Amino acid sequence: MTATVELRGIHKTYDHFVAVDHLSLNIREGSVYGLLGPNGAGKTSTIRMMIGITIPDEGEVRLFGETFHRRQLDRVGYLPEERGLYKRMKVLDHLVFLGRLHGLSAAESRKRALDWCARLHISDWVQKKVEELSKGMQQKIQLVAALLHDPDLLILDEPFSGLDPSNAVMVKDVMVELKKAGKTILFSTHRMDQVERLCDSICLIDHGRSVLEGDLKKIKSSYGKNTVQMQYEGDPPFDHDEHIESVNNYGNYVELRLKPGADAQQLLRTACERARISRFELMEPSLEEIFIDTVKQHA
Amino acid sequence: MHNAWLVIQREYVERIRSKAFIIMTLLMPVFMASTILVPTLLSDMKSGVTRHIVLVAGNTLIAEAVKQELMAPPKPSEQPLRPQETAADGKPAQPRYAIDIDTAATDAEREKLRGDISAGRIDGFLWLSDSDLAARKVVYSAKDVTDFGESIELRNAVHSAIVKQQLARKGMSGAEVETVLKPIDFDAVRIEKGKEGASGIAVFLVSFTMVMLLYVNVLVYGFAVMRSIIEEKSSRIMEVLLSSVTAKQLLAGKIIGVGAVGLTQIIIWLAIAGAFSLPGVMASRSMMSNVHIPMSGIVAFGVFFILGYFLYSTMYAALGSMVNSDAEAQQVQWPAMLPIIFSIMLATPVLQHPNSQLAFWTSMVPFFAPILMFVRIMAETPPLWQIALCIALMLLTTWGLLGLSSRIYRVGILMYGKRPTLPELRKWLHYAG
Repeated sequence: MTATVELRGIHKTYDHFVAVDHLSLNIREGSVYGLLGPNGAGKTSTIRMMIGITIPDEGEVRLFGETFHRRQLDRVGYLPEERGLYKRMKVLDHLVFLGRLHGLSAAESRKRALDWCARLHISDWVQKKVEELSKGMQQKIQLVAALLHDPDLLILDEPFSGLDPSNAVMVKDVMVELKKAGKTILFSTHRMDQVERLCDSICLIDHGRSVLEGDLKKIKSSYGKNTVQMQYEGDPPFDHDEHIESVNNYGNYVELRLKPGADAQQLLRTACERARISRFELMEPSLEEIFIDTVKQHA
Repeated sequence: MHNAWLVIQREYVERIRSKAFIIMTLLMPVFMASTILVPTLLSDMKSGVTRHIVLVAGNTLIAEAVKQELMAPPKPSEQPLRPQETAADGKPAQPRYAIDIDTAATDAEREKLRGDISAGRIDGFLWLSDSDLAARKVVYSAKDVTDFGESIELRNAVHSAIVKQQLARKGMSGAEVETVLKPIDFDAVRIEKGKEGASGIAVFLVSFTMVMLLYVNVLVYGFAVMRSIIEEKSSRIMEVLLSSVTAKQLLAGKIIGVGAVGLTQIIIWLAIAGAFSLPGVMASRSMMSNVHIPMSGIVAFGVFFILGYFLYSTMYAALGSMVNSDAEAQQVQWPAMLPIIFSIMLATPVLQHPNSQLAFWTSMVPFFAPILMFVRIMAETPPLWQIALCIALMLLTTWGLLGLSSRIYRVGILMYGKRPTLPELRKWLHYAG
């Protein structure tokens, strides 16, 4: 499958400050990709280079399988971390303007803007000026602006910050729906719980370098803190498997600690063959733990 | 180009719709009209008042002659500072002076008249003693002597009375005297390619209008470009915009859009001015016939006005990309103001010697060209290659500045809080983008 976004060793320095340090990553088509990292790690700098706002000193940005070209931007929707709209413009006029900048006709932009505003419960505000809207409302407007031209790649920088829980759910639902429609979504955030629930793959950036990248499940299972809790009937369904680091057996309940890289699914299959399993739970280290650990390691 | 067009459109429509634009567009003519009308109205009110003046002269003849001059209906050509005295219906207005003649030119009389002025019995007196007249020195004493129009009128009256009297003494008839004293209608006309070109007054008037229009326009709309860039930076909208428009398209669109707003405003003003002053222009057409402006001058005006606007507003765009607030903008706008002030200072010497080395070199500097090259074209059309070179230089400079500002603009979005120093700015320009 082609990568929607491919970064090949991109590098960016400002003066003596290295913002992004030879970073490479691949974002699979149709996946939800999380870009994580502490403040000032280079997330926004990376995103800016992805969409040609700045140009890398070294390396190559490839979108949709081709070297970056501004024409491709018509297939990209961008919600920047720094939200901004023209304060004195009317909401609908503003959305139509941004839609047209992405190549839509005025009538089409208008129609889509009204549809989206209805979905996000902001229809009553479309004739108001932007400055009359609350911050959360402005953020939803900006999300609509990023979605108007039905982009294949959606880049959302901190999409949930500043939203109340019900609005956050609304935005999350939109993201899930877009994923189902086959869109690729890249989002950056500090909120690990959302990443854990939404993302297929992640890249953890620190000091401009990628310190952890890949499939979220694989990362978690490879992290070496894997724990399995299992309830069974009959004989113990395992022996001293080479994948098992430690065992704590209570007769019909056992807690296992897997060796790094061990596949819990394999363990479950073997166990099923030997005994009746009533509960099997893979306890992974939380992403938060991984995040903190990894950043600590590289500090 | 499609995107630049959208930016122009947005910039234009949003501005034209704004209350500030509508108010400014309507208020300006009111303001201009009042600066022209109020002094006229004031002096009309004053001219309705009859000034009571005493002519003190040892010689009754001269006093009578002066009185006659003052009571005669004024000829507009001789008194440019005075509004027309005849009312619209053609009847003469009431006389402006009530004149008494006093033949006692003594010091005691002078003291008494001074007392009369203080007491408000008379408005002033004109001392025409024989000795003073022989010395060709006349003193007018009054409570207020700041009305220069009145002083000039009195001086002319005295002068004309004396001349007429002396000519009459040499045996000239009244009609002969009138003929001799008739003023000459003088005009300097420039010859170009064997044909008559613009007159001296026209060159001056048009050059002056150009200087003022360019100055005001650059001030108002250049600053508007700068403010709109700062607004985009502080509202952070530019990050969204830059994901679909290049910085160059954005800045160019902004400059053209704001410029179009300025042109619209000027056209509206000209239309209003035209509608209101048409009767006046028709009436004074005889006077305006001297002001002959050739077609090439009007074309040059348009070309240099527009090029000048683009050049200066691009400079404002570069400055706006460096700063983060309006307050900072005020501090950095002098680099844009200096060249225009310089060219205003240079305009007069260039106008006087349009073919000098000074005129040539200064008019080739793109920042001075809008005013100086235009002034040269009006005064004495320079060789075509010079005009072409000058326009090419201006276009190149504008294009270069646009590239420069879009670079600063792109890097500027990553920087917060402080204005870059010059060395920092140089580094910004070296960044790949």
